[in-house]
Amino acid sequence: MRDVYVAGIGITSFTRLEYPLVEIAAYPGLMAMRESGIKSIDQLYVANMGAARVNHQSGLASAVVDNLSLTPAGAETIENGPASGASAIKQGFLAVASGMHDTVMVIGAERMREVNNLEATDFVATLTHPMAEYIYGVTLPSLAGMFARLYMEKYGVTSRHLAMVAVKNHKHAMDNFYAHLHEEITLEGILDSPDASTNNPIVADPLRYYDMCPVSDGGACLILTTADLAKKTGKPMVRLAGVGQATDTHAVHDRKDPTDLLAVREAAKKSFAMAGVKPADVHVAELHDAFTILEIVESEEAGFFERGQGHVALQEGYTRIGGKLPINPSGGLKAKGHPVGATGVGQAHEIVLQLWSEAGKRQVKNAKVGFTCNFGGFGNNVVCLTFIREG
Amino acid sequence: MERNIYAYKCKRCGHVQYPYRTICRNCHENDHNEFDIVPLPKKGKLLTFTHLFNPPSDFSTVFLSLGIVELEDGSRITGQLSIERPTIGMHVRANVEVVRKDEYNQYYGMVFYEA
Ligand SMILES: [Zn+2]
Repeated sequence: MRDVYVAGIGITSFTRLEYPLVEIAAYPGLMAMRESGIKSIDQLYVANMGAARVNHQSGLASAVVDNLSLTPAGAETIENGPASGASAIKQGFLAVASGMHDTVMVIGAERMREVNNLEATDFVATLTHPMAEYIYGVTLPSLAGMFARLYMEKYGVTSRHLAMVAVKNHKHAMDNFYAHLHEEITLEGILDSPDASTNNPIVADPLRYYDMCPVSDGGACLILTTADLAKKTGKPMVRLAGVGQATDTHAVHDRKDPTDLLAVREAAKKSFAMAGVKPADVHVAELHDAFTILEIVESEEAGFFERGQGHVALQEGYTRIGGKLPINPSGGLKAKGHPVGATGVGQAHEIVLQLWSEAGKRQVKNAKVGFTCNFGGFGNNVVCLTFIREG
Repeated sequence: MERNIYAYKCKRCGHVQYPYRTICRNCHENDHNEFDIVPLPKKGKLLTFTHLFNPPSDFSTVFLSLGIVELEDGSRITGQLSIERPTIGMHVRANVEVVRKDEYNQYYGMVFYEA
């Protein structure tokens, strides 16, 4: 296999965007081409989950490749639930590593705010098992609520710990121009004050409003290429060194221990093994905190902390910018936003920015090894990536 | 007539799976349809639960109580709860009822009550 490097990146704000999905996808592609000086590509992958259902558009990649005037390059749409983004990066990696293509553009794009919140939640709930979960009214927030209750009881995690994830990630997002939520929150405001139950109502107990990510529109792009072509961009050399993917049972109730996220554990292990690094070597991580509880549990399953110790590390400030292992310096899904199919590419965008030392006020010092965890379904399909800066 | 939810018992190894899979998760040996259809037990223990305050639009209630139950034979199922104050580990019994209705269909599933 050939080594695969990042040549360019681009992103839109993750928010409510009032322009067509195709342009939400195209804009970060344009940014990445301008920045890298790359004008032609061999292949485009577009990660998206809901265009056919939410935006009444299928064959998105064909529309995007034409919009960017990149025809006759190959183009494919990749749908893998909320892990679509990292899955598309994986396809880009394979195409360059195999020698089939030299330059591949990976875009993630989603426009969920074209429908109301209930419809968006129902669209995401179509990920659940149709007969064993969906018919009962199970949605992703309810799976997260059931997961959180069991996990919290088992490991002594409290609502206060969950709120600390939200406070931290909202704070990080204050320095991210592209983040959905620029709103600093406090434990006092969302938990302790008399207004807390109004500010922060229960959504799927024990989870509250501020334990959930917003519904976002947005797009992000990564151009992947060979070492020789990457050198010409003049950017620091960042190698996509590890790609790991794993799956778990479709219905959550089928898991032996429903507090385990086995697919995260396996995908992270594979990604680190391919990259030849250990969890302790990682300097910065973007984890899939669609729900606050997930940041804590993923930080354990990825191997950064012992089982049941993620919330302790969080409480001690280990995972904020300035701590030993900053997690979600972008604001994470919680505050940066979660345009489902685009999220995995957005996570990689942040890690590359960090490894290039171009993250501005939220820069993690001396970041050389970065990690992303993109979590599909309720943990039934997970893709983890490891990036290494060389030199 | 009493309604049931049916699970799939592997003819090779006896493993009971719910929901349906084409290949047995335990022995990986059987081919398509080598399952006996068996009713799931209706008594069990509540493993975890939530009250969902923004239920899907097919539901007209303010909140929807959902839980995962470990049944007497060790199999697990997700269902709705009709229990005022659920607690982890409590004993529950199920009734098979309409759990969701949309414009065209109604769907039966397990609704759990305090045992
Ligand atoms: Zn079997």
